[in-house]
Amino acid sequence: MSAAATATTTAQPPVGVSNLPNQRYKIANERGGSFTLMVCGESGLGKTTFINTLFQTTLKHQDAQQRRYTPIKKTVDIDIIRAILEEKNFSLRVNVIDTPGFGDNVNNNKAWQPLIDFIDDQHDSYMRQEQQPYRKVKFDLRVHAVLYFIKPTGHGLKPLDIETMKRLSTRANLIPVIAKSDTLTAQELQVFKSRIRQVIEAQEIRIFTPPLETGSVKDDESPDSPAMEHARQLIESMPFAVVGSENKYDNGQGTPVVARQYPWGLVEIENDSHCDFRKLRGLLLRTYLLDLILTTEELHYETYRRLRLEGGNSEDPNLPVKAPARKLSHNPKYKEEENALKKYFTDQVKAEEQRFRQWEQNIVNERIRLNGDLEDIQSKVKKLEEQVRNLQLKKR
Amino acid sequence: MQNNNSPVPPPSLFRRKKENRRGITYTMMLCGNSGTGKTTFANNLLESNIFPHQFSHSEYMDNANSLSSKVKIIQPTKVVSFNSKDGIPTYMAEFDPQRSALESGITITSTSLEITSASDDTENAYVSIDDDIISFNLINTYGINENLDDSLIFNEITSYLEQQFDIVLAEETRIRRNPRFEDTRVHIALYFIEPTGHGLREIDIELMKRISRYTNVLPIISKADSFTKDELKQFKKIIMNDVERFNVPIYKFEIDPDDDDLEAIEENRTLAALQPFSIVVSDVKNKEGKYIREYPWGTVSIDEDNDVSDLNILKNVLFGSHLQEFKDTTQNLLYENYRVEKLSTVSKNEPSSQSSNTPNDNDRLNTNDAMLKRQSAAPSLSNFASLVNTGHFNSQQSLNMNTVDLPVTPSLNHSRNNIKEEDMDSSSDHYYEHQAKREIEEGDSPIKQMSHDIKQGNEEIIRNIKIESSSPRIPAKGDGLNDIAERSKLRNISETVPYVLRHERILARQQKLEELEAQSAKELTKRIQELEKKAHDLKLREKLLKQQHKNGSSSSLLSQSRIKKDDTMTDLASILSKDQ
Repeated sequence: MSAAATATTTAQPPVGVSNLPNQRYKIANERGGSFTLMVCGESGLGKTTFINTLFQTTLKHQDAQQRRYTPIKKTVDIDIIRAILEEKNFSLRVNVIDTPGFGDNVNNNKAWQPLIDFIDDQHDSYMRQEQQPYRKVKFDLRVHAVLYFIKPTGHGLKPLDIETMKRLSTRANLIPVIAKSDTLTAQELQVFKSRIRQVIEAQEIRIFTPPLETGSVKDDESPDSPAMEHARQLIESMPFAVVGSENKYDNGQGTPVVARQYPWGLVEIENDSHCDFRKLRGLLLRTYLLDLILTTEELHYETYRRLRLEGGNSEDPNLPVKAPARKLSHNPKYKEEENALKKYFTDQVKAEEQRFRQWEQNIVNERIRLNGDLEDIQSKVKKLEEQVRNLQLKKR
Repeated sequence: MQNNNSPVPPPSLFRRKKENRRGITYTMMLCGNSGTGKTTFANNLLESNIFPHQFSHSEYMDNANSLSSKVKIIQPTKVVSFNSKDGIPTYMAEFDPQRSALESGITITSTSLEITSASDDTENAYVSIDDDIISFNLINTYGINENLDDSLIFNEITSYLEQQFDIVLAEETRIRRNPRFEDTRVHIALYFIEPTGHGLREIDIELMKRISRYTNVLPIISKADSFTKDELKQFKKIIMNDVERFNVPIYKFEIDPDDDDLEAIEENRTLAALQPFSIVVSDVKNKEGKYIREYPWGTVSIDEDNDVSDLNILKNVLFGSHLQEFKDTTQNLLYENYRVEKLSTVSKNEPSSQSSNTPNDNDRLNTNDAMLKRQSAAPSLSNFASLVNTGHFNSQQSLNMNTVDLPVTPSLNHSRNNIKEEDMDSSSDHYYEHQAKREIEEGDSPIKQMSHDIKQGNEEIIRNIKIESSSPRIPAKGDGLNDIAERSKLRNISETVPYVLRHERILARQQKLEELEAQSAKELTKRIQELEKKAHDLKLREKLLKQQHKNGSSSSLLSQSRIKKDDTMTDLASILSKDQ
């Protein structure tokens, strides 16, 4: 567009083109949005609490009672929670995907497989739906963001963390967070964060970063604009240290705040000097929600689609292979289980058969015995009848 | 701290006074997931900064002198056992983001300390009575729950614990006992439970169950400052429920109804109610010299917040009230059980040789001569003695030597020895090959240290055999034949058992080391290959870029912008294909 043309459009009464964003706004407002968030990390790191804190409602209950009866050997499950959040007449459909049981076993090799499979499956099902003749209603559970919870050890990342994050980062927007950061002092947290950043860099884990370059392209936003400044701050404080709580306490000034009450102080969740929760929420919901959704659409989904449609000529094991090749039965973990189950089944069948045979034998024996008894009785009867006849004969 | 306790020492102390004047040996093991504060706890316990944190070993070398006046290091921290899938140790390694994706394996270290309590302060009132010296052994474990697959660690830890029992057993059955023998059995293991709020995990239960065969296990909730009061109460309940549900044999403070000491009963009752202890540790001191954890929202003093931290009570239990109790149960219950089990299996092997041995006592009397004859063929005691005397032996031979650990059992053992020797020959050849290779590859690795230890162990055995063999062997002729038979039997046991045990252990250890070495060699070559491949790739890329420079600026701009887009894939192959 030339400079003259722009001048004319602004000078005359507006045609109404500039109203397009407003139209868009209306449509968006009516349709609502959809956001899928996956939380992932070892159990006991406060994933559930964090979800409840993030959306300020109890989306998921702490089911301590149920846990009591589960076996100690666990498999990685996928729990999906659906909810609709309404704020100022705008409704957001939220899907939260929880992964209980991740990293709980002695052998955690391949523990990431169910997570990877889940993400790939969502891409796959979406792609299939797109290819259908009628595709108005699409069931979309593509994961827009993955929060990976890191245990606050103060040491560094474990191989399990690294392997899992590597694989997740090629498929979705990965945001690492330090869980339960209220066990680390400020100094420890700093060291821990810097170590994690180093590892993430060295291991080439691609985490989600707020887009920085968009600001510099547009001329109405200088590189030092507040948005840019905000993005830079966010990047600096990654990985976010979070604390979760569902309870409110008085902060000493009469206002109740979400916090954790310790004998030595009150950890305010929404206090930036205590933890990065506000920053993370800002990133997830306030400022970069659309970015998350768009990068999923444009980058991760497209990558998946391209690779799938190009065929399995890629040799990188990190990239998704053809869907049929990674069915559940091909997961080594399930294979082992399957074998064990098969063996158990055959054993059971054998045992049952044995028992039936035993029964049959018993029944046959019983029959023989009864027949014998019957014969005895019959012979007795015969004898008695004989006697009776004899007696009758004698009587005569 | 314990100022408010009554000045009367607990009854266990009276017993403890009877302990020999050399002081008390006391061994404690710290066990649990990495990142639960084991090292910090160790530092706290001794009130000095002895143990470096992970990834910061070099920093600690400088300020290693920050010892408390009561603690003296007898033997600095050394690696006693180690295992890893790829054979490369990571203990003491500096933080390296490149390598942190590799599994760290498991490392067990041991540190010998001496705690004197002559100092004036009243803190460890119980310990300080009589100027007692505790020679304190601290075993620490590194790398639990840092691996993808943690199944390695169980064997490593239990075999270490078993070894300590074996050493004591060997010493007990020996004829001449070492007066300066050191008991390294682990008396108490503290198991650090992660503060998840969710109960025990598979690894916790499995590990606690396994080590409880060899030591008292005391579960501890670490980092208790991540719980609020209610949560902590709840978590303690969950843990105890789990302990019961999965039958984890932890140490319980049992109340003996026959005990007439009311105070002790009361103490045990409160301790039992407190279990599992929760602790908060720190090695940051504030100005007043108190250990604190400083958060933006408040400061936790680890000694004072008694609602959350049972650290003082735990210290008191460990070094005061229950020290002797832990030692007693280890000795009288766990060790005795182990001994019965072990001796019944070892002596099963023995009778066969004895039955052939005891009837013909003449043979027995002539053993020495027979042995001399026999050994001229095989490398064994006689020429070994000469070798030692001339100082002419190397470790290759010494390895062969220790197979002759049953010098008093003639014919039957002879064949057995031969088989063993053959095994040893082949394996030791391998071993030295590997060692030579490794010495080039690595400088000063724990593996090398361990193999050195083994060598020393071998030499010691040889020395012992020498002593044993030079001691008068033929009993006085006046004794009855029966008597001789009986005695020889006893002697047989006492001579063989220690060596059999020792030998088994050394063999097992050697095998493990060989495996480790093979693995590490493999891993190293793999890494070299990887690096070469990377270098190759980089060269290729460089060439490509140069080429692009040559092909006019416009096209290169285009392709570069493409690369930028595709860089997100970080896939070299895709770039290559695009440009061609």
